[in-house]
Amino acid sequence: MAKVTMIEAINRAHAWEMTRDPNVVVLGEDVGVNGGVFRATAGLQEQFGKDRVQDTPLAEGMIAGMAIGMATQGLRPVAEIQFMGFIYPAMDQIANHMARLRNRTRGRLTCPVVIRMPHGGGIHAPEHHSESLEAMLAHHAGLRVVCPSSPARAYGLLLAAIRDPDPVIFLEPARLYRLVKQEVADDGQALPLDVCYRLREGTDVTIVTWGAMVTETLKAAETLENSGVSCEVLDLATLSPIDHDTILESVTRTGRLVIVHEAPRNCGIGAEIAATVAERALYDLHAPIKRVTGYDTIMPLARLEYDYIPNAARIMDAVRETLTE
Amino acid sequence: MTSFNLPDLGEGLAEAEIVRWHVNVGDTVAVDQPMLAVETAKAVVEVPAPFSGVIKKLHGQPGDVIATGALLVEFEGAKGEASPANSGPHHIATRSSHGSGDAGTVVGNMPTSDIELIETAHAGGSAHGHTNGNGHAATSTAHASTRAQADGRIRAAPAARALAKHLGINLAAVHGTGRGGVVIVADVLAQSNISTHRTNDSAAPRFAGGERLKGLRRAMAQSMSLARDNVTNCTLFDDADLHRWPEGQDITTRLLRAISMACKAVPALNAWYDGDTQTRLLKSRVDVGMAVDTPDGLIVPIVRDIGARTTAELRHDIDRLKRTARDRTVAPEDLRDATFMLSNFGMIAGRYATPVVVPPMVAILGSGRLSRDVIAVENGFEAHLRMPLSLTFDHRCVTGGEAARFMAAVLGDLEKDT
Repeated sequence: MAKVTMIEAINRAHAWEMTRDPNVVVLGEDVGVNGGVFRATAGLQEQFGKDRVQDTPLAEGMIAGMAIGMATQGLRPVAEIQFMGFIYPAMDQIANHMARLRNRTRGRLTCPVVIRMPHGGGIHAPEHHSESLEAMLAHHAGLRVVCPSSPARAYGLLLAAIRDPDPVIFLEPARLYRLVKQEVADDGQALPLDVCYRLREGTDVTIVTWGAMVTETLKAAETLENSGVSCEVLDLATLSPIDHDTILESVTRTGRLVIVHEAPRNCGIGAEIAATVAERALYDLHAPIKRVTGYDTIMPLARLEYDYIPNAARIMDAVRETLTE
Repeated sequence: MTSFNLPDLGEGLAEAEIVRWHVNVGDTVAVDQPMLAVETAKAVVEVPAPFSGVIKKLHGQPGDVIATGALLVEFEGAKGEASPANSGPHHIATRSSHGSGDAGTVVGNMPTSDIELIETAHAGGSAHGHTNGNGHAATSTAHASTRAQADGRIRAAPAARALAKHLGINLAAVHGTGRGGVVIVADVLAQSNISTHRTNDSAAPRFAGGERLKGLRRAMAQSMSLARDNVTNCTLFDDADLHRWPEGQDITTRLLRAISMACKAVPALNAWYDGDTQTRLLKSRVDVGMAVDTPDGLIVPIVRDIGARTTAELRHDIDRLKRTARDRTVAPEDLRDATFMLSNFGMIAGRYATPVVVPPMVAILGSGRLSRDVIAVENGFEAHLRMPLSLTFDHRCVTGGEAARFMAAVLGDLEKDT
């Protein structure tokens, strides 16, 4: 057991699985010699060799395409996209092939690929380095989208993702990479995909959130507790497919729902959750569903970043609105 | 003398070319004041003074390429620290090289701390420990609705909730008739009709020592208040001459048959009426609510579809309903949705009455005590057995003519021998 940051947890998950399964390979820009721009793959090339940890040219389409090829031939590639904003050149490969291969070949070929990347902003990075594009990816059938919010879940969910026989897009909140340390046993235990994680039990309102917003939400919940408001906090963790059952079970108990995501509001995953709850639990709601989200603008640069990204104060305001309407 | 080396400019860049100095030897600079512009492989960047002081020496000319960590400026009498919150995109670190003691990022400014995260996380499922897998939709919502009923949470359509709030009605007092017991707007409206008629539980009675009505008596008070406030009662009186009846006629079943015949003749009296919307529903089947007097109060169980039953069946049903009414074991479905009412108070006493129509019904027949009356006939007087009848109808939707024709039909059937 050791106290590790999320980056270290990700690094250890790689090392564990690459030891256990010789078919796991890593590829991406600066992942080998440099160990990744955030050090996620530090030390792996020394440990496992150049064949298994490959530095690619600056070509995201190639990274995704190579991963597909490797996967269909029996390897289990874990490809890195350096920042989520760079995923666009790879989308043709991801959407048109990676997500479809099982369907297209009627199961003869599958794509056990993980594509991992830093997600979201909050680190004062330049343009294109702070994107949250999970809704775009979730909209593709055949892709699973996962987003851990703690070192422990990063470790366990990454192992589950690597072991999964189908493509997983693994979004790592950059703002959380080194924010906290957590006791994580390096024991190769995967965590379940496709379920929410209940981080806080409560009775007055259900808050569903993911990624870096989990931290802000828990702060808000703590403060609200002091005012006598009991919040139930669910970490969505797998953003697609959504674990609606856990959300519905919670909302039917609390009668109120707030969804928090950094990604822009319009057509975000919050809208999908809200629609499903309205379809299946309308009569249990005591107030309209609220979403606390990034604004529908281009993600701003450093100086305005923290005006854009939802914070504990905005989350608390939304919760209070559900209680007073 | 304090040295300042070229800081890590981020993005893994190991060197930069001096473009232009903004300061000269001997200048006094303030902390954060731009000292020079350097060009990296990516961009031209300003390098700010890390502290305030006097420039002693500048190392490098425009055009020179300086490695990260190499000596750049020497200060005299340096004071103060560079402001930590650099809002530019590059992280100006005091560490000299990108390889050792790295800041953990090549772009931006990543927050770090030594805070330990202590959390509990339960995967999926309910707080009560069930682990829900994927897609058990039906179970989940059914489970939720029974739980909702069990712990008293009201399931109500949002519009119903809003209306209840607006009218000041307690949702818990509203009986839900939507699917799964959901409270719908109509339910709230129905409750408001009852509750606006002064069932104000928090008001004080006008006199002391009384006992608040409960159960059947309370229900009767409410339903009669509702009737009074809505129905336009009009009562027609007549007498049925039963001198042709043989011995042993079952009075109640004869009355039911007469009502059945009369409803066929004049369907307008076997109907439901909603005064708020002026809507009338003619009912094809005759379900007669029979007023039963019990020690606890008035109960009105219902004999269903009297037109389709034999006399024996009717008698059997009447006995059953009377028995269950007195036992208080009568089932709720036997108390709901009558289309006509019969009050046979004559079994006790009384000849004529002005019985009250209970909405949504539009009529009620009261039968009084049989008596042997002296009546005038063609050539003298005779004593005939007669039954007084009182037919109250809701004059909002039943005409006098309809009521009279109905009465004529009742009399016509009752006065037959069998």
